[in-house]
Amino acid sequence: MVLQDLMPDMNGCSRCSNCKWVPHLQVKSWRFAKVCPSVDRYNFHAYSGGGKMIIGNSVLSDRSTLNDTIAQIVYRCQLCGACQVSCQVYRDDIDLADVLLSLRSSCVEQGFVLPEHLDMIESMKREDNTMYMKKADRGKWADGLDLTDINQSKAEVLFHAGCRYSYDEDLRSIVRGQAMLLKETGLDIGIAGMDEACCGGRAFEIGYQGEMKNYAEDMASRVKASGAHTLVTPCSDCYYTFKYLYPKNGLDLGVKVLHITEYVDQLIKSGRMRPTKEIPLKVTYHDPCHLGRRGEIYKSGWYGTNKLERPIRFKQTGKMGIFDPPRDIIKAIPGIELREMERIREYSWCCGAGGGVLECEPDFAAWTAKERLEEARATGAQALVTACPWCERVFKDALAETGDTSLKVMDVMELVSISQGGTSYGVE
Amino acid sequence: MVSNDVYRALEDALGPENVSQELGVIDGYSWQPALNLGYDAWCPRPEAVVMPQTTEEVQAVVRVCNRFGLKFKAFSTGWASWGSPGGPGVIQIDLRRMNRIIEIDEKNMFAVVEPYVCGSQMQSEAMKRGLNTHLIGAGPNCSQLANATSGWGYGWTGLYTGFSGRNPMGVEWVLPDGEILKIGAPGTNAQWFSGDGPGPSLRGIMRGWGGAQGGLGIFTKCAIKLYSWPGDAREPHLKGTLTDIKGEVPATHKIYFLFSPSYERFADLAYAIGNAEIGYIHCKGAVGAMFGLLAPRAMKKLMANPVVRAITKAFQHMTLFALACHTPREFAYQEKVLRRILDQTESVMIDSSVLPFHAAFWWGTHRSIFPAMAFRPGGDFLTSMGSNEAYDCSVKNAIESEKLKREYIDKGVFFEDMADCTWGGIYEGTSNWGHMEQIGMFDRRGKQSQQGRFDYLDDTMKLTIDKSLAFGLSCLGFDLWKVFGPRMFNYHLWQSKIKQAFDPNNLADASFYIPPYDQVCADAADGAEKDKDAMPASPAP
Repeated sequence: MVLQDLMPDMNGCSRCSNCKWVPHLQVKSWRFAKVCPSVDRYNFHAYSGGGKMIIGNSVLSDRSTLNDTIAQIVYRCQLCGACQVSCQVYRDDIDLADVLLSLRSSCVEQGFVLPEHLDMIESMKREDNTMYMKKADRGKWADGLDLTDINQSKAEVLFHAGCRYSYDEDLRSIVRGQAMLLKETGLDIGIAGMDEACCGGRAFEIGYQGEMKNYAEDMASRVKASGAHTLVTPCSDCYYTFKYLYPKNGLDLGVKVLHITEYVDQLIKSGRMRPTKEIPLKVTYHDPCHLGRRGEIYKSGWYGTNKLERPIRFKQTGKMGIFDPPRDIIKAIPGIELREMERIREYSWCCGAGGGVLECEPDFAAWTAKERLEEARATGAQALVTACPWCERVFKDALAETGDTSLKVMDVMELVSISQGGTSYGVE
Repeated sequence: MVSNDVYRALEDALGPENVSQELGVIDGYSWQPALNLGYDAWCPRPEAVVMPQTTEEVQAVVRVCNRFGLKFKAFSTGWASWGSPGGPGVIQIDLRRMNRIIEIDEKNMFAVVEPYVCGSQMQSEAMKRGLNTHLIGAGPNCSQLANATSGWGYGWTGLYTGFSGRNPMGVEWVLPDGEILKIGAPGTNAQWFSGDGPGPSLRGIMRGWGGAQGGLGIFTKCAIKLYSWPGDAREPHLKGTLTDIKGEVPATHKIYFLFSPSYERFADLAYAIGNAEIGYIHCKGAVGAMFGLLAPRAMKKLMANPVVRAITKAFQHMTLFALACHTPREFAYQEKVLRRILDQTESVMIDSSVLPFHAAFWWGTHRSIFPAMAFRPGGDFLTSMGSNEAYDCSVKNAIESEKLKREYIDKGVFFEDMADCTWGGIYEGTSNWGHMEQIGMFDRRGKQSQQGRFDYLDDTMKLTIDKSLAFGLSCLGFDLWKVFGPRMFNYHLWQSKIKQAFDPNNLADASFYIPPYDQVCADAADGAEKDKDAMPASPAP
């Protein structure tokens, strides 16, 4: 979608600034009332969701032009989607997240790109990953696990690790544990090994929208060749790409897509997986943006132009994201006490890593993560649990920076693994 | 754009990261569609935008403006056109970084806030202490300081918490020449508990009826009243964000839809409620508008059906009324009184606690989250009429404006909401005064609304004069003091004298307030000469 097509959305902005706040009935304190990391960190209205719509409007109205300063503002945003949720509490006719994506695309078209993003795109083109790593090393995370190689034989379930889990050695034990958890349940799990490639979602998000198509087609052919009926991924970014970006752009994987928390939740509820070992731990759960509000399936089927006429069921409110499965898993583990933060579910605060921010503005990513860690500490939790490798990465780094040892950062599946008898994660 | 010298002076005062004149950034302060009385949603672009964090930094910015002869305009949360410059040559002061609740005095029931504390923040902190605050109808996204010091507004709980002008106590004020003035108790360093002393009492000058809209300087701290919250001293545990809200409502809290057979009985009902000193919320409801907000697409289809229209019109005189009591006994008493009043006024009620959306309705009104739903049908809305007067006069406002709005709905200017008056209520119990406001919902992007909404506003202004409906929101438009001042005891001359005394260099952008006295006199003489009909002559100053 080009920016010009979104002019009615931009013209609809009333500048109410609700995009800066948690939906107001969910504001529970002075301290944790804000929802947009970008404007909260940099303050000028231009950094807010509404402010970026005004930038787009201003540019298309020939009042101003894109330049390096404005591009920096556009890219200082995790595309977490919180602004859209708060906007759409009141508005049916504004798709704010689409404007943010299209604005980035305009920046790229006009040559206002960030060197870090160019490096990422180069890495994707050359090595099929966002991590500047070698394609040949992509499957190493699964060495010794004896998982089915879909290049050799068919599998019922295709496990797509994603770029971060494939290469981040610090998180390797988590992804290995996830795969083994599924395998030990007796499931026929297959992986693509070194032939797994990036989903392409990150390229789309940083403005190189055309790049995603190639990755989607590659992904679809791999899924088809695997014979799998279900695609499971532990990466929230990949999940969002499969569930939202692909169908929105007319791309179909032809397979059921589940995040690992959805899949394991089903396995627990059906009795196939039984976390029985008690874990005496107070935890809080962080909703990854791309699994939560942005993980809401693309609501296709409306082709009109006047969004005031668009039936509500086609509005991306974020409410149908994946919020309950990870919580239900946590609640199913004996001994764990779940203490909710103030900003949760579709109005959750972002971890800071998304939208290319971790790569080009690491300080901003860390600032955003620290804000969330403070909110987690306020609950009295001993561990911040989440379900996305990008969140885990930025939280662990931010925690290390602060030197705080009172809080751990964990993946939901680590808890399941421990409760099933695993001890490989170092949690007592 | 400002000169390099000005820019450097602003950077020296605030740090380079808090000053910008980048076009794309300052346009973020030009776009103000809400209640914008121009055809274009773009307001005049500020020359630069600055973001002070302390009173001293505000003072430094104002002094830079005085040194270089630049106008300035401050805003808090920044919604609506009167927060933006009214003309060229203005520095926009965004007070976003001044965001602290400095103090909550539970015993004396007030809080001291900076400009960027919004309503929901203040209410959530107050409720933890068994207290509550006044939230204006515009919503909890608005600044508590600005609504108390600088604007005009009334919230759902106005019956219990008063309206904007009733809520400020001590105030810290950076005057247009850069001096700091503390009014009320802080004026003699006697904390913040009073707006009228032992320090100087200048509340009337500070905000008058409708606020100076930034035309008299910048308010940097304000003590606001807090009220008893008749519920648990904690935030409720709610799920959802608007109409999907689910949660517990205390047994001593309830919201009702009251239906009267006529506007006369509707007014009787309001007076009786005020005199009985019961209730937590009293507000005009409108069935058509309510359905329009909740289900705008369905509403369009339903309104094509004459039977539905007739039924909706039959329930036109609706009051939204809520009780919030400390004890079951108090609740039983107030509900008993309510039932008796309903009998006396031939009115009936629906107890919404039997309906599935009771929790959403209760908590939504309590936090004032519903009015912004007026965006849903068309994406934009305006408001008009709304003089706060004896409630009979307010009801007259409603009756007259409904006839007028009907015409504009039929012309396709406004969304069909059965033309019912949609907002307003009585203030402060036995005072028996209040207001009724007429809201029109429209699509700014549609051609029909472009001229029509301005014609409508002009007509409401004429209606105000022709029918003696008293000074209301329709009188607050750009330069309308020229029309209403001479008709209302020349208030504009007094106001302009205040402006001149407080702002001798005329640097606080007064586009939405009034020019200094000398300029008013000059304009009056000039205007009288040019167009005797359009500009009623003012008496000699």
